[in-house]
Amino acid sequence: MTKTYYDALDETLFRATLPNGLRVIVNKKSGFAKKQCYFAVDFGSVHTDFTFAGENHHVSAGIAHYLEHKMFELPGRDVTAEFAALGTAVNAFTSYDMTAYYISCTENFPQALRLLLEFVSTPYFTDESVAREQGIIAQEIGMSADEPGGRCFENMAAALYERHPIRVPILGTVRLIAEITPQMLYLCHRAFYTPENMVLCVVGDVDENEVCDIARRVLGDEKRPCGEKLPFPTEREDAFEPYVRQNMEVAMPLFSLAFKTTCPEKGEAAVRREVVADLAAEALFGESSPLYMRLYEQGLIDTSFGGGFDTVDGCAMLSCSGDSVDPDAVRAAILAQGRLLAAQGIDEHAFLRMKRSALGRRIQDLDGFASTCYRLCAFEMSEFDYFLFPQIYDMISAEEVRGFIEQTVKEETCCLSVIYPIKEESR
Amino acid sequence: MYTTTELFPDVTLRCIRDGRFKHGVLSIRFLRPMCAREASLNALFPELLLRGCRSAPDLRQITARLDELYGASVGTQLSRIGDCQTTGLTCNFLDDRFAAGGDRVLEPMIGFLSELLLCPVLEKDAFCAEYVRGEKRNLISALEAQRNDKQAYATTKLLKNMCKGDSFAVPRLGNIPDVRRITPRSAFDHYQTVLRESPVEIFYVGSAQAEYVAELVRPMFDELPRAVRPLPPRTDFVPAKPSHRSEKMEVSQAKLAMGFVTPITITDPRYAAMQICNSVFGAGQTSKLFMKVREERSLCYAIGSSYYGAKGIVTAYAGIDTERVGQTREAILAQLAACQRGVITERELDAAKEGVLSGLRAVYDSPEAMHGFFSVAAIGGLNRTPQEYAEQIRAVRVEDVVAAANTVQFHSDFFLKGAAHDENVL
Repeated sequence: MTKTYYDALDETLFRATLPNGLRVIVNKKSGFAKKQCYFAVDFGSVHTDFTFAGENHHVSAGIAHYLEHKMFELPGRDVTAEFAALGTAVNAFTSYDMTAYYISCTENFPQALRLLLEFVSTPYFTDESVAREQGIIAQEIGMSADEPGGRCFENMAAALYERHPIRVPILGTVRLIAEITPQMLYLCHRAFYTPENMVLCVVGDVDENEVCDIARRVLGDEKRPCGEKLPFPTEREDAFEPYVRQNMEVAMPLFSLAFKTTCPEKGEAAVRREVVADLAAEALFGESSPLYMRLYEQGLIDTSFGGGFDTVDGCAMLSCSGDSVDPDAVRAAILAQGRLLAAQGIDEHAFLRMKRSALGRRIQDLDGFASTCYRLCAFEMSEFDYFLFPQIYDMISAEEVRGFIEQTVKEETCCLSVIYPIKEESR
Repeated sequence: MYTTTELFPDVTLRCIRDGRFKHGVLSIRFLRPMCAREASLNALFPELLLRGCRSAPDLRQITARLDELYGASVGTQLSRIGDCQTTGLTCNFLDDRFAAGGDRVLEPMIGFLSELLLCPVLEKDAFCAEYVRGEKRNLISALEAQRNDKQAYATTKLLKNMCKGDSFAVPRLGNIPDVRRITPRSAFDHYQTVLRESPVEIFYVGSAQAEYVAELVRPMFDELPRAVRPLPPRTDFVPAKPSHRSEKMEVSQAKLAMGFVTPITITDPRYAAMQICNSVFGAGQTSKLFMKVREERSLCYAIGSSYYGAKGIVTAYAGIDTERVGQTREAILAQLAACQRGVITERELDAAKEGVLSGLRAVYDSPEAMHGFFSVAAIGGLNRTPQEYAEQIRAVRVEDVVAAANTVQFHSDFFLKGAAHDENVL
């Protein structure tokens, strides 16, 4: 177990890798009642092709999310009720490249942690329970299909990428999930829910040694073979399709605009890339940028507008989204501003102010238990100590951010997805 | 440590001093009656204040100032608390100890907030016409965009029907015709009325001492002409005629919203029992709606219920297939009937109580949660601490829950029918 104190943040992290390969991180928060814990798996919706036990496998899109739903069952026990009796809130999410199970509680933390580790490490699926879940997930898919913002992003991802599995929504589709069997769920669990492929992170006033002891007791010390994800198909550098549109029950058009960029490496390079890209987003169309003010004053964007850098295993994009009466005009203005910044560079004084602001916000965000837990897990999977971010800000120059904009904000890499209202006459 | 200071008559500063956080929160709220006449004005004027002030007359300069203050943020503070609408500004900012080289954040933050609040950009004794045009457009968009979230849309429609004639039927952002009528002059006149006549609640959570915060905030109100008008007394809620309506949209999933009434409101001694009753019925993953209607019958993914203590209204919602509306309505009513017959296990009761208690214990772990809990308690006229309320929750017995359930009556529903066949779903 190592202990690190981060002076700039006044935070302490304990880290350990257990004999079974599980990485454990504890962010000790003395004097807080709340405890938040993430048990995260390096497995998400894009990981549909892998090798395990000497064989190549392809599983249905949507299976990572389906598996997440089905994990909440233990033979003859009611996991949700047991957590409730401990006063613990439990939930989970599946993203494109991570599945995370999380709990938060104020009391009974050791018991709740034990239960979390137990249910996530115990697969139990029957034909009947898998079939019953299909009705529930089909409704979740229906709900998500009516959610314009999410739909707009999904359409954009499928247009920007030609072959990467980010093209398929995380939940899959009703037809795809109908193919899922208990055997497929068992296979994915065996291949990816191995301690070595997981991170356990706790934020709160807990005993770090007890966390490790409980994890060893529940999960055992044995290392298990882990599935190997197959490389994603080679992807073109430019946008597959520059435009995509759909009509939905919305009041005003909403858009998602993205610029495809190369995927960052792991380690320090990954976080440096994220920070550079965030600063680029700020310089290009952030609230203090000249472009933001111009578009806002022209009524082309409103406070729903925002953007940043998104990475998914094998993908990276600089993107923004919001409501607009004229998304094409927003696209044209951002491209023009990108060219201008690439040619003229970023004003040094403005750049320092942006850095100060971005750093201040990241520090403030550390008060959020859940977001801190999530970031610690995500960066652990990218092999970087997230709490070193203040040093990264120190290293970055305006020129590096300008270079990123020059490389990224281009017509060829750009995709605009718009959801338009359904026209009155077609109603 | 929680302190309340009367800075001036009807100007109250409430401070929670807590040094554990990396950021602080400060809000300034003006209390208004929730009424159709001024809802849109109350929603609009703080947006105008955030467009510019004397030393930062446009958006860019405002953001630049906030960036200088280590990424502080300022927003409007608009909410409904009982029959009252609060309007004003709120800000979040980095705690002084994380600023570079002994820099200060709180002091310049309050100075800037004061300027935003009191020194807007004016043209001929009215708000700047261009800003008014832009913010009216944004407010209208926000009102129109309410139909984007179908579940919220269905529940809002339901409540509007149930609460006709009550402040609860007044939409928080007002309505589009009222927004259209606002002029730079009418907005400015209203803003001045609000400054002059409203009781003010200032709330701070952070590491600074209450005396220091008071010293920084007091000058804002020193020279402000004030002639406070008390808020109208709370009115009893009289439900409108029951209604059963539906509407069609091109959506793949239909939304059912059901409304119930109960005489138990926030000041009633049975309030804690009613909250637990709602938890057993439909709040969270151990509730009857989740366990019986979702998990056992696979009728839906999203399902739940909410209790509006200010009025004594319970709503239930579910996202379903259009053709299953009858089944779902019956299943939801059957779960309420089960609560009324006393079919509640110890386990369900404990889970419901633990859920609420856990939330109360965690209030002290976030500045936003403390700000929310204590300001609503104070403005809602219910000055109790999380600990005091937790005591009441712990004391709730099964028979109290059953008695509370038996006061609940089905009143109205609203059904948003789906008409789309989206190939992407298949």
